Amino acid sequence: MRNVTFGNRDKMPPTARGTVPAATVVQPLPSASATSDEFLLNIGPQHPATHGVLRVVVTMDGEVVKDIVPHIGYVHRGLEKLFENRTYEQIIPFTDRTDYLSAIANNFAYVRGVEMLLGLEVPRKVEYMRVLMAELNRIASHLLWLAAYGLDMGAFTPFLYAFRDREEIVAMIEEASGGRLTTNYFRVGGFVHDLPKDFFARLRKFLARFGKALNELDTLLVENAIFVARTRGVGVIGKERAVSYGMTGPCLRASNAAFDVRRDMPYSIYPSLEFEIPVGRNGDTWDRSWVRIEEMRQSLAILRQAMEGFPEGEHRARAPRNIEPPAGEVYSAVEGPRGEIGFYIVSDGTRKPYRVKMRKPSFSNFSALPEILRGLKIADLVAVMGSLDLVVPEIDR
Amino acid sequence: MRAEEALAALRKRFPGVETRPVDPAPGVTVPPQSLREHLVFLRDELAFDFLVFVTALDRPSEGALELVYRLFSHETRVSVVVRVRCPRDGARVPTVSDIFRTAEWHERETAELFGIVFTDHPDPRRLLLPDDLDGYPLRKDFTHPNLIRLPEAR
Repeated sequence: MRNVTFGNRDKMPPTARGTVPAATVVQPLPSASATSDEFLLNIGPQHPATHGVLRVVVTMDGEVVKDIVPHIGYVHRGLEKLFENRTYEQIIPFTDRTDYLSAIANNFAYVRGVEMLLGLEVPRKVEYMRVLMAELNRIASHLLWLAAYGLDMGAFTPFLYAFRDREEIVAMIEEASGGRLTTNYFRVGGFVHDLPKDFFARLRKFLARFGKALNELDTLLVENAIFVARTRGVGVIGKERAVSYGMTGPCLRASNAAFDVRRDMPYSIYPSLEFEIPVGRNGDTWDRSWVRIEEMRQSLAILRQAMEGFPEGEHRARAPRNIEPPAGEVYSAVEGPRGEIGFYIVSDGTRKPYRVKMRKPSFSNFSALPEILRGLKIADLVAVMGSLDLVVPEIDR
Repeated sequence: MRAEEALAALRKRFPGVETRPVDPAPGVTVPPQSLREHLVFLRDELAFDFLVFVTALDRPSEGALELVYRLFSHETRVSVVVRVRCPRDGARVPTVSDIFRTAEWHERETAELFGIVFTDHPDPRRLLLPDDLDGYPLRKDFTHPNLIRLPEAR
């Protein structure tokens, strides 16, 4: 067996084997001391639990996580630089691609920012359509999180249930916008199309059914004894630390901080709608899961109200064909499924923005991972990382 | 408390500081050396507990980089923007990552994209960019062989 070679690696001249091309030089790893039981564990960039291309290097002492160093940037596309060379309208489809699970929330934040720059009022119907779409998108995103998180934790059945329900939403969004994930539905001043004729019939059918399906999912995964045992008291982050790490969305609310952009930096028609903000007690992994289930219930309530009060009107305001906002700057934030999605747009009065900064929830939520994980067991890593509901293109942008 | 009151409190505490109303959040411009003092004051005395983001703007015509720190208060639900101006060449700003933990990653990103040194940063490695990339992509004069300008839209 001694003469077995793997490929032709051993036949390569020693110089070729010894040199590493500059592009593949990896970032230095934290050094583990040779005298203890410490060792380094590399997870990713290609790993099912990372839900995308990211890498964490974990310093382990036995099976206890001593330190964790996240490496991101594998899908960095330099979108903010691209934006500086695109007109305001051309940027809209790019915002979809920052977070493929909440394209609508990203469209919403960006388009609203441009409208603020222009001082453009949109018709009431547009506001209602936007809220309807945003809440449908939130439920679809949370369902996908639930499905994928169930898989992470070894529960396969919730995945099938969640995808069945999510498909209904995605089909509705597809019929309205033409796209399933990257919808590119919003325009400055409104929407590219009106809602299809049978949209409300479908929505009514969905609302009538989904409440019960959600209870099923809740009992199937979040109230499941094995799931509770793996998540209760695991990965705790307190309110003060969560705020300091800039966490937003369900991850922050699980830590007993009642912050929701929809209520605290009100936009669109949210002030006129009644909904509650579910808040967790302990800030552990279970709370982060529970908050998302409750949020879906609240989204259903919002959808019902928006459907009842849905006004007649135009689906698009009379916006100028060429968008040239006056010089100035705005920050437009919306509550996306993962937290505060913000667009900081600086205009110099031309057709292209001077600078666009995207404030993305996953970026800040993920930065808290080392703080949450230190001292836990390696088996908790997947549970904690999944509960943060990361979308990697949103972290890297 | 409204944002104007927060700025009035800042002016009282730091005489000579330049404040201006910028829609939708009022702002204050501070020199780099007193940035930390201002942020600690805003956090501890005026309850701005949440750093929304840190970024920068390149102003080559003025030979300056303008850093933008956006703060929000969960208690009063008010936003305020703190700006720091520094020269484009050899920009150095003290880190605030111990005041707001989220600043650590935001500063790493801003540092590599704009070429700003955040002094005393606990982990000044690159965050998003490849190690072998030269230049600071979000500066206006950045060039790269793969960065080709699109024809102007009509």
